[in-house]
Amino acid sequence: MKIKVRAFASFREMLGSELELDLPDESSVQELLDALASLNPRFCSEAFDRSGLLKDYVLLMKNRKRLDRDSMNQALEDGDEVAVFPPVSGG
Amino acid sequence: MLTDAELERYSRQIMLFGRSGQERLRETTAFIAGAGGLGSVVAIYMAAAGFGCIRIADCDTVDVSNLNRQVLHRTIDVGRDKTESALQTLKDLNPTIDIQPVQERLDEHSIEGLLRDSDLIMDAMDNFETRYLLNRAALRHNIPLFHGAISGFHGQATTVLPGRSACLRCLFPRALPPSTFPALGPTCGVIGSIQVNEALKFVLGKGELLTNRLLLWDGLASSMDELACERRPACEHCRDY
Ligand SMILES: [Zn+2]
Repeated sequence: MKIKVRAFASFREMLGSELELDLPDESSVQELLDALASLNPRFCSEAFDRSGLLKDYVLLMKNRKRLDRDSMNQALEDGDEVAVFPPVSGG
Repeated sequence: MLTDAELERYSRQIMLFGRSGQERLRETTAFIAGAGGLGSVVAIYMAAAGFGCIRIADCDTVDVSNLNRQVLHRTIDVGRDKTESALQTLKDLNPTIDIQPVQERLDEHSIEGLLRDSDLIMDAMDNFETRYLLNRAALRHNIPLFHGAISGFHGQATTVLPGRSACLRCLFPRALPPSTFPALGPTCGVIGSIQVNEALKFVLGKGELLTNRLLLWDGLASSMDELACERRPACEHCRDY
């Protein structure tokens, strides 16, 4: 199945603004993130902490709705769009 | 009633929203949290537009490394209190408004005094810990919070109307760790301008506010995106409002 990924802010510099990933059917959000991590080592170190969890402040959206951390095992469907966004905090 | 001098000074925007709009701006007290990169742009455009009272708080002194973006301050101000040089710049720009500089750290003790009589809060901080304080205060006082943040070429902005839209904690449940971030003048210019534009629309009752939307500016791509967001019923900041 095809999943569309939209990356923002510094993640866009690592992943490009929009990419499409081909994943096995019923892959989870976590598996999508793992696939992204293996795609780009810089994204991997910026987005994940040492234990391999997505950093807690990184925002995830599925089909323009926010995803909580407890939905990481949710299965994705063909055509889903997932957005990853690291908020900025400077002033 | 606006004076002749005010009518002349603001003539080009009175074309947009009339004398009554300008009077409304004159009656508005804005609290600006921070006199750094965002605070500079926010304060300058608010003073220029004629917000009647501007209270600006910061606890730092001007460092030479601030000057690439913090346009409130000049080379001659290095070492001075930021709010002192802010006062100078803003007064030179618009002597007809009330400018209240407060050289003080924003924390849970100082915030009530700093916010006294404010109609709105401009978030020009550089860390999430203090932003959460601003968010809670906005909810408590039922006044809007205009959020902006930057890093390098990237920026974000949103508007919080207490009880009516997602609050800052709904959007960002976890604080980002503090860091020394890359900072660029134009990014501050874009985001700070959006924040002031939002505050203007709020006071004037015009247009669509950035509520329940996070606007993202990508200066490398020269593009804006928008993430829709909504209140989280379990939000520890706003669930009781
Ligand atoms: Zn909330």
